[in-house]
Parts: sequence; C-alpha cells; structure tokens
Amino acid sequence: MIGSGIKRGTAELAILSVLEEGPLHGYEMARRIEEQTKGALRFTLAALYPMLYRMEQRGWIRGSWETSDNGRKRRCYRLTPSGKKKLLPLRKEWEELFGALKRLTKVAHA
Amino acid sequence: MPDWRELVRQRLSGLALDAEEKDEVQAELAAHLEESYEVFCKGGLPEKEAVHRTFEQVADWRDLQRRILIAKRSGHPMQKRVHQLWIPGFLTMALSIVFLVTLQKLGFNVRMVSWRDSDIFFYAPWLVSLPFLGALGAYISSRAGGSRGTALLASIFPALALTLTFLLMFPIDMIIEPIIGRRVDFNIVAAVLLKDGIGWILVPGAALLVGGLLVHLLFGRRLLPQDTAIG
Repeated sequence: MIGSGIKRGTAELAILSVLEEGPLHGYEMARRIEEQTKGALRFTLAALYPMLYRMEQRGWIRGSWETSDNGRKRRCYRLTPSGKKKLLPLRKEWEELFGALKRLTKVAHA
Repeated sequence: MPDWRELVRQRLSGLALDAEEKDEVQAELAAHLEESYEVFCKGGLPEKEAVHRTFEQVADWRDLQRRILIAKRSGHPMQKRVHQLWIPGFLTMALSIVFLVTLQKLGFNVRMVSWRDSDIFFYAPWLVSLPFLGALGAYISSRAGGSRGTALLASIFPALALTLTFLLMFPIDMIIEPIIGRRVDFNIVAAVLLKDGIGWILVPGAALLVGGLLVHLLFGRRLLPQDTAIG
C-alpha cells in the first residue's frame, strides 16, 4: 500500500508540474492531470482542494479570481517563484525514487 | 440545473473560517461542481445521473470541511503577517521618509494654510507622492496574498506609525514636563496635536489611502484573494 507521504508527494509534483505550463483553475487542473497521466492519477474535488489550499499556504502557488472568455469567474492558480524553486528538487527526488525502483524490479525479475 | 452555490453552502456551513474566506471556498467548490455537472450532461448523462455523479466526488462533506480547515490553517501566520503587512508597511514608511527628507534637502518649502487662527502646514510635493507610495504598499501586500483590509493597512502604514508616535508623545510629555519643572498647558499641547495631526497624519493618511484604493480598484480582481465576485 502506498503511504500517505508518497501519495501527497505525487500529488504535489503533479500539481506543480501542470501549473508550470501556465495558470489553471481547479477543474481544468484535475482534467489535465488525468489526461496527461492517462488516468493513472485522478483528483476528485475532495482530494484536490485541500491540497491546493495547503500548497497556497506554503506559498508554492497563488490563486486569484479571473473571468474566462465565456464570462465565468474561476479561481486560477499559478506557480510562485517559491513553487518553481520547489519543483526542481521534488522532480529530482521522484526521478531518483523511480530510477531506484526500476533498477530494483529489474534485478528482481532477472 | 441545481443551485451549486447553495448546495455547497449548506454542506460546508460549519466551515470555521472568516466569512470572506468561507464564501470564497464555497464559490470555488461550487464552480468546480458546476463544471463537472455540465461535462457529464454534455457527455449524454440524464440530469439526475449527472447530479449523482457530480456529488460522488465528495464522499464525506464533513471530512472535506475538516481537511479544508486544516489546509487553510497550515500556513505560518507570523510569516504571512510579515510578508503581507510589515514588509510593505515599513517599505512604504521608509520611502515616504526618504522622499520627505530629499524634498527638504532640495529646498521645497512647506505650504502654510491658516485655519481658525492657527496655521496648518502642508508639504505639498510630499503629499503628491503619497498616493504612489500607498499604491506600492497595497500592491506588495496584495501580491503576498494580503486581504483587502491588510493591503489598505499596509498602504496607510506611515500615517498609522505617525499616529502612534503622536499618541505616545502626549502622555510622555505629561510625565517629562513636570519633572523638568515646566508647567504644561494642555490646551496648547492639544492644539498642536490637532494641527500637526491634520497636516502630518490625516491628510497624508488620506493621500496614502487613495493610492491603496486605486490599486484595489485597478488590480483587485486579479490580485486580491478575497474577491468573491462569483455570481
């Protein structure tokens, strides 16, 4: 079973990564993550917003109300300089972890 | 179509946040649900099924409420206060002092206005600069996530600091003057405080506030997290 720390780390990396491409509102963020991970990562409303609020409190992302072309108001999130700084080591950590797991499973299957 | 805002409001009624923040969370979640519902409807689901599938995203509203509260309170309040109030406030104050001293060194004179037998001093070139400084303070505070109130407080920070100084001067004067053997005429002290209060606190404070309000009007929707304009 995947521990909550790993789950949270994955979710944070996913959110920071999609926001690196540009500002997004919550629904669009969840949709992009699901699409880009081919359904492997799926955020429900209940999972997404507490995570977004926590990341906002930490100063990694910043939300502001924006009006879309169809006149709808949505709270859009964007990466802060602190979030950009956080993304690099986080990405490296996960690359190392997955690299290690890949090596391990290859050895196990050999 | 269901009134998503009202449905979320009912389910998150116990969210122990301040009114503005609570309203904002409810608006944001309602917007998410509304969008989910519309996508389900466009995908061909009947309305009832679409509503059911939309609500499936939250298994336990009480648990969601609890987790939102924990997340919202997870920041460091002291650090937030420093970035949202103290840094922009002190920066506004430092710049206003530097600008005042520079103008004085450049030889700009104080303008004197007579009012009820007393003269009130206005430093016109300095007053002109204050809306810009107030705007700067409000902008920095808002960028750091400060609420509307905090941003306006940061914009008028120099006037608040000066008010505090004035308020402290009065009791200190009352203690020191008798010690050094001088008789205190409270009428004179009060008149001076009122005169200087208008020239150095009220009018500059209003000028700073104009700048803060302008930032709020021009950039508020984009910058301030408390904007709850969702319809």
